[in-house]
This record gives sequence, structure tokens and C-alpha cells, in this order.
Amino acid sequence: MAAAAEMGCRLKSLLIFLCVAAATPVFASTYILTVSGLGGEPDYEQRFAAMATDMDKLLRAGGQTDRIVETLKGPDATRAKMEAALGRIAAQAKPQDAFVLMLIGHGTFDGTEYKFNLPGPDISAPELAALLNRIPAGRQLVVDMTSASGGAVAALKRANRIVITATKSGTEKNATVFARYWVDALRDPAADVDKNETISALEAFQYAEKKTAQFYTEQKRLATEHPQVDDQPRAAAFPLLKFGSAAAAANDPAKRELVAKKDDIDNKIDALKYQKSLMAPDDYKRQLTALLIELAKAQAAIDK
Amino acid sequence: MSRLRTALSLLLLGSFMLSAQTLERAEALWHAQDFDGARAEFEALLKANPANAEYRVRYGDLFHERFNPDDAKKLYEEALKIDPKNADALLGIAQLLADDFDAKANDYAEKALEANPRLYQAHELMAQMALEDDNSKKAESEADAALAIQPDALNAIAVRASIDLLADKESSPWLAKIANRGKGYETIAHFFVINRRYEEGIQYYRKAIAASPDLWTAHSQLGINLMRLGDEKGARQELQLAYDNHFRDAATANSLTLLDSYKNFDTFRTPTTVLKLQKKESAVLRPYFEEEMKRAMATYEKKYKVVLKDPIQVEVYPDHEDFAVRTMGMPGLGALGVTFNNFIAMDSPSGRTPGSFHWASTLWHEMSHVYVLSLTNDRVPRWFTEGVSVHEETAASPDWGDRLSPEIIAAIRDKKLLPIADIDRGFVHPSYPSQVIVSYYEAGKICDYISERWGESKLLDMIHAFAKNTPTVEVIREQLGMSPEAFDKDFLAMIDKETAKTVAGFPDWTKGVREMNEMAKEGKTDEVIAKGREIEGLYPDYVESGNVYSFVADACLKKDDKACAIAELGRYSKIGGRDPDTIKKYAKLLEDSGRLKDAEAALERLNFIFPVDADLHQRLGSLLLKTGDAPGAVREFQALIAMNPIDAAGSHYNLARAFKAEGRNDQAREEAVSALEVAPDFRPAQKLLLEVTGESGAKSSDGEK
Repeated sequence: MAAAAEMGCRLKSLLIFLCVAAATPVFASTYILTVSGLGGEPDYEQRFAAMATDMDKLLRAGGQTDRIVETLKGPDATRAKMEAALGRIAAQAKPQDAFVLMLIGHGTFDGTEYKFNLPGPDISAPELAALLNRIPAGRQLVVDMTSASGGAVAALKRANRIVITATKSGTEKNATVFARYWVDALRDPAADVDKNETISALEAFQYAEKKTAQFYTEQKRLATEHPQVDDQPRAAAFPLLKFGSAAAAANDPAKRELVAKKDDIDNKIDALKYQKSLMAPDDYKRQLTALLIELAKAQAAIDK
Repeated sequence: MSRLRTALSLLLLGSFMLSAQTLERAEALWHAQDFDGARAEFEALLKANPANAEYRVRYGDLFHERFNPDDAKKLYEEALKIDPKNADALLGIAQLLADDFDAKANDYAEKALEANPRLYQAHELMAQMALEDDNSKKAESEADAALAIQPDALNAIAVRASIDLLADKESSPWLAKIANRGKGYETIAHFFVINRRYEEGIQYYRKAIAASPDLWTAHSQLGINLMRLGDEKGARQELQLAYDNHFRDAATANSLTLLDSYKNFDTFRTPTTVLKLQKKESAVLRPYFEEEMKRAMATYEKKYKVVLKDPIQVEVYPDHEDFAVRTMGMPGLGALGVTFNNFIAMDSPSGRTPGSFHWASTLWHEMSHVYVLSLTNDRVPRWFTEGVSVHEETAASPDWGDRLSPEIIAAIRDKKLLPIADIDRGFVHPSYPSQVIVSYYEAGKICDYISERWGESKLLDMIHAFAKNTPTVEVIREQLGMSPEAFDKDFLAMIDKETAKTVAGFPDWTKGVREMNEMAKEGKTDEVIAKGREIEGLYPDYVESGNVYSFVADACLKKDDKACAIAELGRYSKIGGRDPDTIKKYAKLLEDSGRLKDAEAALERLNFIFPVDADLHQRLGSLLLKTGDAPGAVREFQALIAMNPIDAAGSHYNLARAFKAEGRNDQAREEAVSALEVAPDFRPAQKLLLEVTGESGAKSSDGEK
């Protein structure tokens, strides 16, 4: 986790840029489609559907109008309905929008092609990629949480698309637990590592990845899934779920000066952190404490 | 493996010259330690003589000597298919079984003697097994039977010498008969070791090596026993020597690997304790282990009226295989912990699936051994030291220790509990798979019974009686004033009374659980609750997977009857239920209903079961902070941070709050800075930082993250 936090820190400058870029279109929407596929047996059917239901509730909570959520599960999760849903999004989404696809269930990989298992005909990774490529949303995230999902990366990969999978390759074929922890990440405040009241795709990924590894360690089982994310910097800048009211102050003209001052301190803290390995520990701690106190005061002034 | 088959060789010489030459060559290569060459010769022999049982036996002997019991067994069995009364093959199987302390070894040795009454090695083996069972009378008669056939039978002589030495006789006339045959001293050493008299065992392994410097088995065992007593340098030297001379059995190779892994351990010393923890988990486990070691020592010093001269060393292994190395070659040792004088090796809670292991109970169990072994100078029968240790587990806390398991219920039902005079046999040479577990239960119950009937101090009186090397039968007569037979009668009557309902009701309970399972699947919550309540009392001790309490509690929750669920899970927890998820669920229900102290107590129990759980420390720390136990909250949040949690900022912030509540503002500031270093915009931490640095006029809400 320390490594993750450190990485998060080093990425900060890039993130600031990406966040600003992402925040520019004021009325941007996020289209989110969750599909829980074929379970194959009652236990899995129930589990997959329950996860999709939980996810749906979490994403709809707060009634945010900039989020368009659709969930397909059980008998509704057919290829035809999935294609129709993706078609609708392709028709509605604009370049400034974001798009998220989350796949829960079983997947297969025959050595060359990945397929997401659905009631009726399955859908292959290239077929899915073709559908996604029609969606004009400029920022896309695919979270494929099925078995063998690593086999889908090559087909789904695209410059504007982050691909997260539960397995590192198509050969990890056992049922996965990653999805369970991905859902947990969206409801556990602990997943918000940087406490900015937003769970980013990277934070959710790192949360679920760690919990997945912990599951196999505690159960004394050989890990049969190794989650991966193909573009960490972009995943860090991809807000998956926002909560709280952090953004409100930034829009108040009366507080712009204070916000600018706070941003300046933030930048100084980032710069100091970059210097950490070159500094004497006591000196670093002293300077960091001073800056953090200054930052806390600035924030308190904004919050008044 | 010293059997000589001169007669066989002569016979073979007389029949097939080519084969005889090949056998001689195989034996010569074996003797010259060219094991691959010997194998090739044996393979050729078997191919040329597929119907020859003796060649297979001898080849099996080679495998047995070269650490491959499976192939040895296969060859002995093939020999028996050719010649069902082949005495050497029967003896070979007996020896393999004896290596595993399997009681069936005796049956095979008897069969071997039926096939060849002059096979003195079978008598030797039976003598050895009898002495391992602490039955010196039988051991003596079997050794004498061997000596009657072969007057210089070394193992028989060594058994006779061991009987004298274990009885603390100053010397034994049999020692002179061993003369310079190292193997004889090695056998004596073995008996000292299995009687936990490690220092004397080491002394005799050294004698064995002095007499036969190339006795690599003795070098290996010397190394293993030096390691048991903490002499890592001496252990490595001996083990490496054995290994370099091609003696590479699992115990030797794995012990060397384990010694190499010690660099990955942290060692924490106090004047009375040494604690070795794997670096990865030392920060999390240290406070809990140190506290329990301290508490156990204070309890035992008072109870046993003794202060140990040397520190107690506890080694905690997160990898069960590492721990297993410490118990290799020892009969019926507990699968969770083991004590060698003042040295304890045990599994780490992280080495077991959550809920399957109560580490504190195991620690107290092993620490009790240290006191009993010390007070008796290791002269204590296995059953008694185990019994006292099991007794101490539940004395420490009623929900600790092991519950009545289905195997034990079956043993009671089938009248398989052993008479007190023979109970050691159940530990050393179990005659059915669960007999070791049953013997632990029985020994523990015997000590409970003695404590209840004669008072707790009687156990200490018995410890002192055993210290004089007095046999069990005499100690029972002297200390309890009754014959062992009368004791058995009274004890079994108590057991029957205590367990009658469960033993008789077990079939109904299992049927009821199945029915309840079906009802739960069908969503019949009222029926589940009614059935659960009906059968719960039949077998209240069952708290493992599929227990009645969890079924009923889940049904209560489906009806949104939280009070009902709390009551049910309260019973589960009180009786010793250990599943972390179930206990957390119970704690949450208690917390939600405002019973914060009870919730706290429920979670505190989990620290003795599976403390390597970040979620547990987060929840418990928060509760302790709410109930005003700031030092407890500090301990929990420190454990949380040691686990490198996902929410590093939140964890440092919570620790800062706990320090602040304790009035330790400097530490609170440090932790707030650590939180903000990860997440500079974390507002609650910002507010706390301003407060503890005196930069804020207003007090923060100090709400939980």
C-alpha cells in the first residue's frame, strides 16, 4: 500500500492535468453498464446477480443526474440485450462523456479468443471491442471480472480505454473472487486512499486486488487469479464514484483566492515529497509538518 | 537396517551363479554408497528373477534406508504376493509402520515371527515399540527373547540398557555389551528423546558418534535435537555433515532449510522470555504474544509455585511446513505446537485458515508443558503433561481449548477410552486415526476430574510424585488413594454422565441438522429456528462449519429479529465458536443495539484466534475509542498500521485520535502528519493536526472516519 500511495504521489502532477482536462466539460455524463453473465449453476447465478444488484444500488445512490446507469442480469443478460444497451449508449454518449462497462460472471479462453458467457450465445472479446469502439465517449473503462478475463485485454485495449481484468491471462480459468471486492471497494470508505471523496478506478482496483490476494492467503489456497490494470495513470484519474461535497467550494468565486492558495501549498507538498529520499528525515518531517499545518489552515478558511 | 542375510546369499550362490554375483554386486555397491549403481543391479536382478521374493525384500531394504518408504513398501508387498509368509518382507513392513509410530507394526512383527520364529529382529522391534509405549515389562521380555536367539543382538541390548537408564539407574550392565557399536547408543538416545529428555538424548547421540563417526543418522538426530534446544550453530554443523555425506532424509534437509530461514525472523528478548516472529508479521503479533506469555507465566508461577531459571523461548511459524519440521520423527505430537524443554515452536495464526486455530490456547498449552517438564525434570508420562496442558487451556478461559468433536463422541460411544494405566499408548502408537485427539481429550478430562474431586493442588502433588520417576499406576494409588481400576470406573462414570445426552442424541442431532439445512434452503425461517432450538441442546459443543447457532441466527436475521440473533450468536461465542465472520457479525449486532462493551468483548476474543486481520483491528480500535479505552485503541490501530492497510491515511488518523484521547499529543501529531502525508486533503486529519499542534482555537468534532 505504501508503494501504491507513493505511486499515487508521483502521479499527482499528471493527475492534476488529467483531472482538469476531465473537469472541463461541465455537463459531461458517465454511462455505466453492468452485466452479470451466465452462472451455470444456482449458486453462481445467485452470487453474480446479487453483485450486479449491489453495484447498481451503489451507482444509483445519491441520485446524481450525470450518471446513466444500466444493469443486465439473470435472463436479461443476453447478448442481444447487451448489444442493444451498448447501441443506445453509442447513440447518446458524446466525446466529453465517460463510459464504464463492468462484466461479472464466467469467461472462457480457447488459446486465441476470450468469450464472456451469457445465457444463449456468448460474446467474444473482438465482438465486444467492435461494439465499444462505436461509443464516442472519450474516456472509457472496461472492468472484466470474469475467469480468463486476462485473455480479453489484447482485443479490448485502445488508447482512450482503460482495461481492468480479474486475471492476468486467459489461462487463469477458475471462478474469480475479484468482483466481490470490486463491489466492496465502492462501498468501503477505506478504498478512498487519498481522501478526496472520490473512488477512482485505480483506488477500486488496488482495493480489490489487495483483498483478492488476502482471500487466497487466508484460505491457504494457491491464487488462481492475478488482477491487472493496463493503464495505471489514467485509472488514477478516472473517477468511478464521488461522494461528499468536496467540489462545491471550488466553484464559489468568493473563495477562489483561498483555493488558489491551498493549491499552491498542495503543490509545495508534492514537491517536498519528491525530495524526500534526498533529505534528512528530520528536516523532511519538519518541513512537511509546517506545510500540512498551513494547508489545514487554508482548508479551514475555505470551509468557513 | 542392520539385517544380514548371509544365509540368503549362500543359498543364492548355490542356485544361480549369475544372479548371486549380481546380488553380491548390488550389496557391494550399496555398501560403497553407490546407490544408483545398487539400484541398477537390483533392477537387473528383478528382471532376471521376477519370481524371487528375497531380491525384492532386499531391494525394499535399500529404499527403506534411502528415505523412500513408499517404494520400499511396494517391494515388500510384491514379495508377499510371491511368498505370503516371507518373514523378511513382513518385518520390512513392520519396520516401516514402526517408523510412523503405527500400532499395526506390532501385528506385522508377530506375523513375521510366525513365519520365522528365529527372526530375532522382530522381537527387537516389538521390544522397541513396547518401550515407546512406556511398557518396560513387555520391552524387557521381547528384548530377552531376541537375545535368546542372538546373544549379541544390538537393538535388544540397547533396549535393556534404555530401560535401566530411563529408570534413572546410575548405570547399566548392558552398556558394556554395546561396546563400540554406535547404533546401540543411538537407540538409547532415541528413547531419551521420545521421553522428552533431550539433553540426555544429545549426550547419547554424541556417544554414538564417538563410537561410529560415520553414523550419519546419529549426526542428523544430534543436529535436530540441538536445534530443538536452541543451539543453532551446533545443529547446523551436524546436519550439514550428515547432508554432505549423502544422508539427506526429509528431516535433515528440511531442518537445514529451516535454519536458513531464521534470518527472516525477528527476536524479541526480555529477562524471562524470547519471542521469535517472522519479520513480515512481527509488528502485528508481538504485543499480543508478549502479553499472553507474560500473563501465562504469572499464572503458572503462582499455580505451580515455581519460577523458571531460564527464559521461555517461543518460535512462531507462519508456514506450517516449517513448524512441521520441528516435529518430524516425534510420535503423536500436537499439530499446532510443540515444546522441547524451555523451547516452544508453534504455528502462527496466519499459518492456519481463519477460525481454525486458537493461538492463545495453544500458547498456554505449550507453556504449561514448560512448567511441568521443568518441575519433573522431564520425568512425566506423556498423558499427564498433555492432560494438565489441556486442563490449563479451559482454566485460562472456558471458551478456549477444544470442544467435544464427533470423533470423541464416537470413541465414548464405542467405549474406546483407554484405562489410565495404558493411556500413553493412545499418544505414541494410536490404533485408530483419531486416537491421538481422543487421548488429548481423555487426558484433559482426567485432569479436570482430579482437580474437581481432589482439588487443583492435587495436580501439583502429582507433578511432584512424577518427578520421582514414579509410574502412573503408583502415582494414582499414592496420590488419589485408589487403584487405577477404581479410578477408571469413577472417571468413566463421570464422563458418561457428562456426555450421555450428546452421545445418545448424536444421531438425532445429525438428522436434525440435515433437516434444518433443507428448511433453510426453502426459506422456512420459523421452522429453522424451532428445529435449531430443539436440537441445540443435544450437542451444544458443535461450533464448527454448519453449526446450529449460525443457522438459527441467520433465520432470526431474515425475520429482522436482531435480539433473537444476538442471543443465538451469544451462545455460539460463549461456547467457543471461532469463525471470524460470525463473531464480527455478532459484534456488529451488539454495537448496533448499543451494547458497545459486549461488542468489544466479542471482538477481543478474535484477537486470540486470528489477529492478522486488518478489519478486526479497525473495528475493535474504533469501538475501544468509543468506549474510552484509549490504550486499547492505540494497541489496535498500531496493529492495523503494522498490517499495511489499504486505508493508510484513515488508519494513521485513527491512531492519532487514540493517542490524543490518551493525552499523548506529540504522538498524535506524528500520526496526523503520517495520515496527511498520504492524503494531504484529508479534512478530519487536518483538523486534528491543528488541534494537537495548538494551531486551532476551535475543537474538532473528532468524529470517527
